Amino acid sequence: MNKGQNRDWVKTFLDNFIWFILAILFTYFAVNIPNFTSKTNLINVLLHASVLGVLTIGQTIVLLTGNFDLSAEGMVSLSTIFAMWLMITPGTVTGTAQGSGLMMDPYLVIPIILVLGTVVGYLIGIMITRLNMNGFIVTLAAQLVLRGVAMIISNGQIMTGSPKAFNWLGGAKVYGFPVSVIVTLLLYVGVNYLLNQSKFGRELRAVGANPDAARASGFNPKRTITMAYTIGGFLAAFAGWMLLGRLETTVSSLGEGMTLETVAASVIGGVSLKGGIGSVGGAFAGVLLLSMIDNALNLMSVDSFWVESVRGFIILVALLIEAQKFRYKPKVVHEKEPAVASDCK
Amino acid sequence: MNTTEKVMEKTPILSVEGVSKAFPGVQALTSVDFCVMEGEIHGLVGKNGAGKSTLMAILMGILEPNEGTIIVGDQQFHAMSPKEAIEKGIAYVPQHVAMMDSLTVAENILAGELPKTKMGLVDWKRVNSEAMERLGRLGLEMDVTKKVEGLGVAEQTMLAIAKALFGNAKLIILDEPTASLSRKDINRLFSFVKSLKDKGGSFIYISHHLEEVFEICDRVTVLRDGHIVGTAEVAQIDVPKLIVMMVGEDVEDYTRESTCQDEVVMELNGLERRGFYEDISLKLRKGEIVGLTGLQGCGVEQLGKGLFGLEPRGIGEIVIDNEEFTADKPIDSFNQGLAYLPQDRYRYGLVGLRSVRENVTYPILNKLIRLVNLINRREEKVIVDKFISELDIKTPSQEQPARLLSGGNQQKVVFAKLASTKPSVLVLHEPTQGVDVRAKMDIFRIIDDMAAQGVAVIIISTEIRELIGVCDRIMVMNDGRMTDEFKKGEKDMTPEKILAAIEGGKNNE
Repeated sequence: MNKGQNRDWVKTFLDNFIWFILAILFTYFAVNIPNFTSKTNLINVLLHASVLGVLTIGQTIVLLTGNFDLSAEGMVSLSTIFAMWLMITPGTVTGTAQGSGLMMDPYLVIPIILVLGTVVGYLIGIMITRLNMNGFIVTLAAQLVLRGVAMIISNGQIMTGSPKAFNWLGGAKVYGFPVSVIVTLLLYVGVNYLLNQSKFGRELRAVGANPDAARASGFNPKRTITMAYTIGGFLAAFAGWMLLGRLETTVSSLGEGMTLETVAASVIGGVSLKGGIGSVGGAFAGVLLLSMIDNALNLMSVDSFWVESVRGFIILVALLIEAQKFRYKPKVVHEKEPAVASDCK
Repeated sequence: MNTTEKVMEKTPILSVEGVSKAFPGVQALTSVDFCVMEGEIHGLVGKNGAGKSTLMAILMGILEPNEGTIIVGDQQFHAMSPKEAIEKGIAYVPQHVAMMDSLTVAENILAGELPKTKMGLVDWKRVNSEAMERLGRLGLEMDVTKKVEGLGVAEQTMLAIAKALFGNAKLIILDEPTASLSRKDINRLFSFVKSLKDKGGSFIYISHHLEEVFEICDRVTVLRDGHIVGTAEVAQIDVPKLIVMMVGEDVEDYTRESTCQDEVVMELNGLERRGFYEDISLKLRKGEIVGLTGLQGCGVEQLGKGLFGLEPRGIGEIVIDNEEFTADKPIDSFNQGLAYLPQDRYRYGLVGLRSVRENVTYPILNKLIRLVNLINRREEKVIVDKFISELDIKTPSQEQPARLLSGGNQQKVVFAKLASTKPSVLVLHEPTQGVDVRAKMDIFRIIDDMAAQGVAVIIISTEIRELIGVCDRIMVMNDGRMTDEFKKGEKDMTPEKILAAIEGGKNNE
């Protein structure tokens, strides 16, 4: 009995490994980098974590089904450009892009881009599940198409000056605390709870772990995967809304490179690339870790050329840990099994 | 049974000593001793899951045994690599030969060593004449300019054997080579193989068709549940004895009182799926257990999957509980009262990475939802606990990933999942495959209990003895049709009679 409890402790530790790392790293940065723990800086870390965080929720949901979504950053770009195009005046300032002149009400634009993201996500899901197209390439191509359309609309120019009514999600503060951070935290708490307690959460993981058995157990893997991409598309547009609100400016290259960060954050947080294992809560730890390291490198004024390599290296380490964890875990737990061969004699 | 090996002057070309291999949850081979002599055709028989494939994979260097040694010629291995196996002259000819189909016979034979002209181009004349000459040495005549895809199955197999020999193979493993051959082609293949044997070639011959084993083999080894039951000279044994070795006499048989009631639960009328089964009609009563059996490819597998909706079902009418059964996918089947236990537990039965708890309640989540999409976890836990204790599932907790349980306990988890849907009809496909003897008894008890509660059970299985033990009726399928029926209590219901009925279809061709 005692032994069993011991192993449960080991398992708990392994499952929450990432939070320990996060705590250790935080302490290290706090001690070694002046200003790291200042209120402004911590809020900066959280601000970065909010957009990345929203995208990572979508990525995690898709990863749980055993698929990838490389399209989300394209949707971040398109949703911001499209929103601007709908809202701003036909530009007169040289060097800025033209708006459509529709001068739409932000409260109309917000639902439009959210629906846009949702529909695109759904279409991607249909292409993968019903038309049997390869998910990796479909979402990669979708990223190009989305960003390409954004480029066409914006003429490749910067669009600036989003209206205040649009910016509250990304830019406003409540008691000095950014709304985007609060919303992201609430999203994480909510989605994590839902995915752990709902039938849909079960379905996602069952489909990701073994689609054939999931079907034979009464699920519909194609519908589940389509749903995952649809949610991913919605969240990508939501992240676009948030990011534009903060920057009040956008350009078609917005969000470049975030796809890999979302995958990395998920994997660091214990989500398996093979599908079926992991939680949104874990992924949040990955988001915080990446944001914190980014911020720390910045404060230590590490050469920006190095920052890229360090990021890449962290992602590789995360993948290594994931690959090893999958190999290592069964051995730990296997001992619990009663010896079958011996007791049948 | 003659298990003592009378080795004459011949020397062993390959021997395997004390080889064991375990997979998570299954002991596939247990200290297997096995030996093939030079110039011998050695039959290897055993039911599905007896360990034949595992043993062959070890000989080919694909799997590494946990224990034991392999001796080839004068060299001893713990485990060979595939490359070493080929170098040592072990070749495998599968049922469906894989060759470069769109190239000619000659090109396939001389692949990698095509003779060239002075210009550096392929010298086709020499290619063809050399290929013909090589085949001729083996006594094989074939149009070498024909593409391989244009050859018959028997020719392809013979070509594959010839190719293996050109590659210096000393021991050739033939895996079910006759499965899709006509009698005439079988004769041609056999005389070719025999002629090669006379020239000193050695073969391992794997087959489900016991008559063929007697026709072509010198000795035969029987595998059952990962153990070697024995090796015998074919001259000193006959089909019934071999069957007894395969099926086993020593195992304790499960016997039960029939729980069959009068009320009909399920009715199949003229079910037909072209190419797989036709004219399937069957009435199932409450509490009745019906066995369905037949050779591989007789359509019984597809029938099971078709009923559940894992594969298309074709045409025909099904009635369950006086209502038409229209389900074409698993979830509807569950809802309309039919649950299915797949043969391939790892692929279809379990989501191995997920917990026992989740696996048990997958099909009934809709009933456990308390608010929008949220699951009532407390109720779920109670249900799962009930099944764990009722079915005696040995697991450290509900949260244990299903893949870490033993084979028998995994199967019980699948049973719990099916039982949770409260089915009227239960279709079980090889329910005892890959589980140990004690768990088998548990599984029979579970089936028995469910029948006693009024569930009608169909068991699709090749385990004849087990079927005889638990079934009220056994139906035999041949080429997609139900050809024979055996009833409990009638003296015809013996393994010999049933096996004869199963094999009957093949011999009539």
